[in-house]
Amino acid sequence: MSLLSATLAEPQSFQTWEKLLLLSLILASAILFFRRFAPILDRILKSRRDPSFTLAPVGKRIWDFFWEVLCQAKVIRERPLPGLAHAFVFWGFCAFALVTLNHFAVGLGFGFLSPEGVFGRFYSYLAATFAAACAIGIFGLFVRRFFVRPRWLGQKVSCESGFIAALIFILMVTYLAAFAVKSASPAASALWWIHTLSILVFLPIIPHTKHLHLVLSPATIFLSRGGFSKIPPLVGDEDFGLVTGKDLTQLTSLQAYSCVECGRCTEHCPANNTGKELNPKEIILGLRSYLNDLGPQSEENIIGKYNSLTADFQCTTCGACEFQCPVGIEHLPIIIGLRRGAVNTGAWEDEHGAKLFLALERGSNALGMSTGERDKFIQKQAFPIFDGSQEYCLWLGCMGGYDPKGREIVADFARIMNYLGTSFGVLRKEKCTGDPVRRLGNDLLFQQLAESNLETLAQNKVKKIITICPHCVRTIQEDWKEFGAPPEIEHHSEFLARFADKLPKAGARTTLGAPSMAQSDRAIGGIPEAPSSRSGKETIVYHDPCYLGRYRNVYDEPRAVASLAGEVVEASRSHERSFCCGAGGGLVFLGEETGDRVSHTRVNELVATGASTIGTACPFCNTMFRDALAEKGDAAPQLLDIAQLTARNLPALDNKPDNQPRLSS
Amino acid sequence: MKIIVCIKQVPERDAQVRIASSGKLIEESDLQFAMNESDAYALEEALQLKEKNGGEVVVLSAGPERAGTTIREALAKGADRAIQVESDSLNQLDALAVAQLLSAAAKQESPDLVLTGLQSDDLGYGQTGVIMAELMGIPHASLILNVEKTDTGITVKRELEEGWFQSIDLPLPAVLMIQSGGTKLRYATLMGIKKAKTKELRKISAADLGQSAAPAATLEKITQPQKQKSTQIIPGSPKEAAATLVEKLKFEVRVI
Repeated sequence: MSLLSATLAEPQSFQTWEKLLLLSLILASAILFFRRFAPILDRILKSRRDPSFTLAPVGKRIWDFFWEVLCQAKVIRERPLPGLAHAFVFWGFCAFALVTLNHFAVGLGFGFLSPEGVFGRFYSYLAATFAAACAIGIFGLFVRRFFVRPRWLGQKVSCESGFIAALIFILMVTYLAAFAVKSASPAASALWWIHTLSILVFLPIIPHTKHLHLVLSPATIFLSRGGFSKIPPLVGDEDFGLVTGKDLTQLTSLQAYSCVECGRCTEHCPANNTGKELNPKEIILGLRSYLNDLGPQSEENIIGKYNSLTADFQCTTCGACEFQCPVGIEHLPIIIGLRRGAVNTGAWEDEHGAKLFLALERGSNALGMSTGERDKFIQKQAFPIFDGSQEYCLWLGCMGGYDPKGREIVADFARIMNYLGTSFGVLRKEKCTGDPVRRLGNDLLFQQLAESNLETLAQNKVKKIITICPHCVRTIQEDWKEFGAPPEIEHHSEFLARFADKLPKAGARTTLGAPSMAQSDRAIGGIPEAPSSRSGKETIVYHDPCYLGRYRNVYDEPRAVASLAGEVVEASRSHERSFCCGAGGGLVFLGEETGDRVSHTRVNELVATGASTIGTACPFCNTMFRDALAEKGDAAPQLLDIAQLTARNLPALDNKPDNQPRLSS
Repeated sequence: MKIIVCIKQVPERDAQVRIASSGKLIEESDLQFAMNESDAYALEEALQLKEKNGGEVVVLSAGPERAGTTIREALAKGADRAIQVESDSLNQLDALAVAQLLSAAAKQESPDLVLTGLQSDDLGYGQTGVIMAELMGIPHASLILNVEKTDTGITVKRELEEGWFQSIDLPLPAVLMIQSGGTKLRYATLMGIKKAKTKELRKISAADLGQSAAPAATLEKITQPQKQKSTQIIPGSPKEAAATLVEKLKFEVRVI
């Protein structure tokens, strides 16, 4: 029998008792499914409504659904082999929708896809192709789960997963085998019944296993919060974040039940990978257990039996988990929600955390320094004060205004702006944007800082802000929206990339030994000469800051800027998969007491590229790496922000007199 | 245990202080205000005592309308209620007159313990608490880092010089001046602020307290500290210069 003449064998007729048996089995399976699924749906629907949820923009939702669900793009891109295997299983299921419908219809005597008809034959071949791919896919996934056993899938081998894999395999094999037997033969009948029973056993298993994602995750992806790390507003006087079951929203509960336990979040989590307690997957499964045990009306605290306070505060909010999640779980609003609950009620006690909060309650910056220090820096650099006549307000931020290394970056960036003839000014007074307290869940302090800054910016009629800090960019642009309309803001990498053709390239410098404006602030030793004059082209490994990459989708601009100074090479993890420096989420102020240091792990990856320079675009990454590199001694590559890499190649006397207004006292 | 904590609102630590045109006050228009630092420690000590032994913490503050924000902050951190002695001319009073107002208000409450900060960050007299104790006729102790409740009263830890500490037993009621840094301050929370909205803030005027409140001492003039930089370059050979330097250090500066 040649392959193309093969025809799908179906039983030709069914006895009445067979039809009755089939009907009752379908009914039993469906009832069992709904009895198990209904309480879950009920818990999701009885959760609190999401305060800020809107369906708009629907276009983006439809696109996400098409791309992430139907095309399985994220599943495949982030884990190509298992992803492809999963995609084949998924597409197989899609192709089988019609086949299965017809399968039951045949049993009841209403078959509509005749295997001999033109469409029926075509479709059965199509389904057979998918069945073969699906069988291979599920076999591959079975081998991975039970023999390769990546640690992300958990310590315990899940028997139910094996059983389900077997069922799917049987479904596909029985379908394919039906091409090899004669219609109306006992073999055809047997295959038909095995296929039927497999489906009917599979259905009721779904709700109580991670295979619930089959039902829920398409909805979860479609109903996302509509933005990366989108933190919902607190509503009313009793909302302090995620404290008890009553605070769980419908989206949170839906997401908790959608988790497929693939562990991609864990695989990419900087805290988990450096030996901390935090495991993003367990955070989600903890919420699921809470909902199963207590439900969404419970007033019992989530933190405790179902969630670890210590783990919640180990998160750097790098967003790798949320970015990686293939079923649309948004971890950041959940983890930050739990922190909000703990901080807004005063349950979180931490020496460093309290110190940071008190510094920002009483002072203006997260480093706890006197504002006079910022004034002195502005005076020393002769930065013009913003008076409404300049194009940009240069936002210094806590790092740019107070940290020695951050100041060097700002000073060099200002030199470049002067070189380009772009007018800018700095504010007389500036407070922390509230980024660290926002991520740590201190809503009181965040609101005070956001409102105070928005008022200052409005008073000064600021239209455009530029800053060297991705955390400032994100917080001003997205998080402040809750309290007013922030001005337009841009990160310096975006600005520099726009002017890339006007900026000097490495080796183009004519005058050597140009004193930098920031020279006096530099530590002894200073910045070494670009090695371009000595040993060929400099290689620069660019580190993607989380708040510029995953949070803002800016990957090419800083690379374009860095490539002016030398050859850009990539670390083993880069772009969307970049590994955190360890500073985010307020953690730079908390200290890191357990496990390896995230910054050391990342620095080792960067050093392993053999690059002569590490290029950064965030003052926090810079400060973390500076500390981590200290132990490398003389072998350490140089560490420079992209602004410093650029400023290094400016001609010596770039300071046009008309760009040098002095600080009026 | 009923504890009264006296709290003063002072210019923020980083404030750029300018002298008002009268020459007797500072210009307040551009200033941001905050809780006096050692008062914040007094409040923390009171809250910890209440958490351990039960009772009530009452905030007492003399100040103009604007002091309300600092009082709310104290309520948000956990004080139960507050009394504000309202007067716009407080900044013309001396420590005695302020202490008269505060002690009159405190007496009405018959507290077991009165805590004040050691001194204010703005005027820095360090007098108010001591005078209050005298006016109330109860014992006091200053430079206190820690307070423990005992069966008969309290045991306090005082900071002395050169790293020495003194432990004293006091009967109640008493007035204690609390030193900064003895404990860790708590941070303000959203829940605290929301609860503070419903807490009682009673305002009384200086006249209601029946105090004449005429200062015994008046402030004549305030000035910025004189910045002096007088650098002398000593000429001559190193030997001669060194001799001149020693002479100057001995007889002019008198440090050796």
